[in-house]
Amino acid sequence: MSAVIDEKSKLVINETSKRYSNTKSQIIIYGIVCALIFIVPSFMDNAYLLNKFSTYLIMGMLAMALSLSWGYGGILNLGQAVSFGLGSYCMAMALKLRTVPIHTGAEGLPDFMVWNNVETLPLIWQPFHSLTLAVFLGIAVPVVFAMLVGWFMFKGRITGVYVAIITLAILVVVNLLIIDQQRITGGFNGITDLAQLEVFGFEFDAYSSSAYYLIAIFLTLSLFLALAITKSKTGKILQAVRDHEDRVRYFGYDVSHFQIFVFAVSAGISGLAGMLYTIVMEFASPTFLGVHLSLSIVIWCAVGGRQSLIGAMLGAIFVVGIQGSLSESETFLETWTLVMGFIFVMVVLFLPKGIAGAFESLAARIRQKN
Amino acid sequence: MKEGRRSFLKKTVVGTGVLAASNFPYIWVKNSSLAYAAKGEVKVGVLFSLTGTTGIIEESLNKATIMAIEEINDSGGINGMKITPVVEDPASDPATFAAKARKLVLNDRCVSVFGSYTSASRKAVLPVFEKRENLYWYPTLYEGRECSKNVIYTGAVPNQQQDEFVPWLVEKFGKRWYLIGSNYIYPKEENNYCKKLLADLGCEVVAEEYVPLGHSEFASVVNKFRSEKPNVIFSTVVGDSVVALHRQYRAAGLDPETMPMASLTTSENEVAAMGGDAAAGHFTSAPYFQVWDSPENQKFVEAYRKRWGEDKVTHFVSEPSYFQVYMFKQAVEKLDPSDISPQTIREAVKGVELVAPQGLVRLDPATLHTYLWPKIGVCKSDGQFEILKQSSEWLAPVPYKAYPDQVCTEAGLKQV
Repeated sequence: MSAVIDEKSKLVINETSKRYSNTKSQIIIYGIVCALIFIVPSFMDNAYLLNKFSTYLIMGMLAMALSLSWGYGGILNLGQAVSFGLGSYCMAMALKLRTVPIHTGAEGLPDFMVWNNVETLPLIWQPFHSLTLAVFLGIAVPVVFAMLVGWFMFKGRITGVYVAIITLAILVVVNLLIIDQQRITGGFNGITDLAQLEVFGFEFDAYSSSAYYLIAIFLTLSLFLALAITKSKTGKILQAVRDHEDRVRYFGYDVSHFQIFVFAVSAGISGLAGMLYTIVMEFASPTFLGVHLSLSIVIWCAVGGRQSLIGAMLGAIFVVGIQGSLSESETFLETWTLVMGFIFVMVVLFLPKGIAGAFESLAARIRQKN
Repeated sequence: MKEGRRSFLKKTVVGTGVLAASNFPYIWVKNSSLAYAAKGEVKVGVLFSLTGTTGIIEESLNKATIMAIEEINDSGGINGMKITPVVEDPASDPATFAAKARKLVLNDRCVSVFGSYTSASRKAVLPVFEKRENLYWYPTLYEGRECSKNVIYTGAVPNQQQDEFVPWLVEKFGKRWYLIGSNYIYPKEENNYCKKLLADLGCEVVAEEYVPLGHSEFASVVNKFRSEKPNVIFSTVVGDSVVALHRQYRAAGLDPETMPMASLTTSENEVAAMGGDAAAGHFTSAPYFQVWDSPENQKFVEAYRKRWGEDKVTHFVSEPSYFQVYMFKQAVEKLDPSDISPQTIREAVKGVELVAPQGLVRLDPATLHTYLWPKIGVCKSDGQFEILKQSSEWLAPVPYKAYPDQVCTEAGLKQV
């Protein structure tokens, strides 16, 4: 009996979601949001704010990547920051080799290696002499790593909370490795004092609109890529896997392939975001793949609405933005962490589907009235 | 309706494209010529973590800085101008440090920023100060080997902590040394220099060991102490690990009389966390201890307790946090208000002298590091140190002392 009701309510949900998240209106909304992002620098010539908004966009990209695997694939990846960090280190290594080490006077060798009594450039650093290769690796390394991890997890039919635990453990391991292997990674201090990214003689100054546009372009591209995936057959199957893994398996699909795929795409987008982050922050640090950041991504997704790519993205921008302005205001200097906690609790209690979910049900209500 | 939407979409896309294109070549002009000192105030940034893993120690640096600013403002400011502190909480996170540093330098247009405890956070903010030609005032002892023209270093570098300390320990306890540190650059650099001094004195390093940051299981390390029987354990372990190491050393029943730990990082602050009993009998070298007997220090400690609470301690990082604000004041005093900028302050602070709580200090024009007064203290069970020795004169900072072919000069790093 209850199963029948369950089926019925599912049908109703499907009906509504079909009506209100149809592809065309989604494309329009996504297009408008991206357009707004592109307009921002036109009426802002404040280097500090541009730089700050650039970092917000990157966090948005990261949350969007998680929403792809979590909201659509049902894979709660608590280690999203691994791919982000790997990407950012790839870019940092490339930029580090392009800078002149002013504090050590050792030509060619990055300063932290001199501090660690390293004599020659380690083999693993050699490919990063080429920027093209570095950019390729910044995406390829997280993707391959995610495919490996995904292969072990999903072939072994690990699901739910165990995925979360495994990915979190992997995050901690990678983080410890990077801190410990300081002769190669710069350890706790990370990789600092980087050159500016220069492509075909064009400099991407972290404080200029050029870096901002670079990020906005990649954000838009990856957002629409993710949207295309969710609309494709693969995306539909993924959502089916999320809701009823066993049923999809009975249909004859190899569920793990779809899970590995979305897990890897999400990692690739995060790797790209990591590279962009290094460009605007001008350093890479082990905190970029820290537990703190990784769990924050989950919170952003939850606040924005994990089942909406753009919701997750805006959720990240919203939360990071509030966090930034609260901690900068004198009144909240002592209490900003408390206020943030309060906001999260309120969202979880009253908007379980996040801000995007709230908008959707609002729209549904209006339509019902009409 | 469909057509309407599409053309709207087209229009938006085209419109944005045009807007974007018209803005693309625009690059923010660096160092725009707005005056730094306006409306009778000088804005400075205060960038110490109030939350997060190093929040407790950094809060004491924030307090020392704020107290110095309040004192200066209460006694008339700098040439009548008030110092306005802009306080930010970087939450012990390097990325947040960088973000807040940007805010202070670019948005608030601070003329200088006082901040950082860890090297990691200093390294994270350096690009901001170097590319924006601003000035960062760093109060912590650190590993040296840096020659930035955008940082004023008021803490000790290795030669200032070790030149007196190491020979003194060798004479008093012996030549077999055990080096233990946390696994990152600071302990490695300190040990690089220590090994050099020990080699000159004909000493033996029986072990050089690094434990992960935050490590708290020292049983195997303590066992090695027992089997190696070194004369001196030279410790550059930092943070909470200091507390664990001392407690487990004591629990193992080892005797500081015959096998003392000699530390560069154990201050009144760490001792308060581990309890005086665990720390008693071990040695620390630093330019400042709370018990140092001078009228300036008496005034500093009293004011600090009065302002922030009777139970608060001052230590060898909070003292430079305090006196460096006075160095800033002396530098700005020399300048015409219309002429105040990070660069002019850097030039004006070169050679500045003042009587700090630790004694008369001076900013070295070549290295932008500070002449300090190294002292050797032994810890007492009441949590304070007893000062056994002070160097007979102030000691010049030599950030590249372990590397004789490199010298930090006014023009930057020189190869000799």
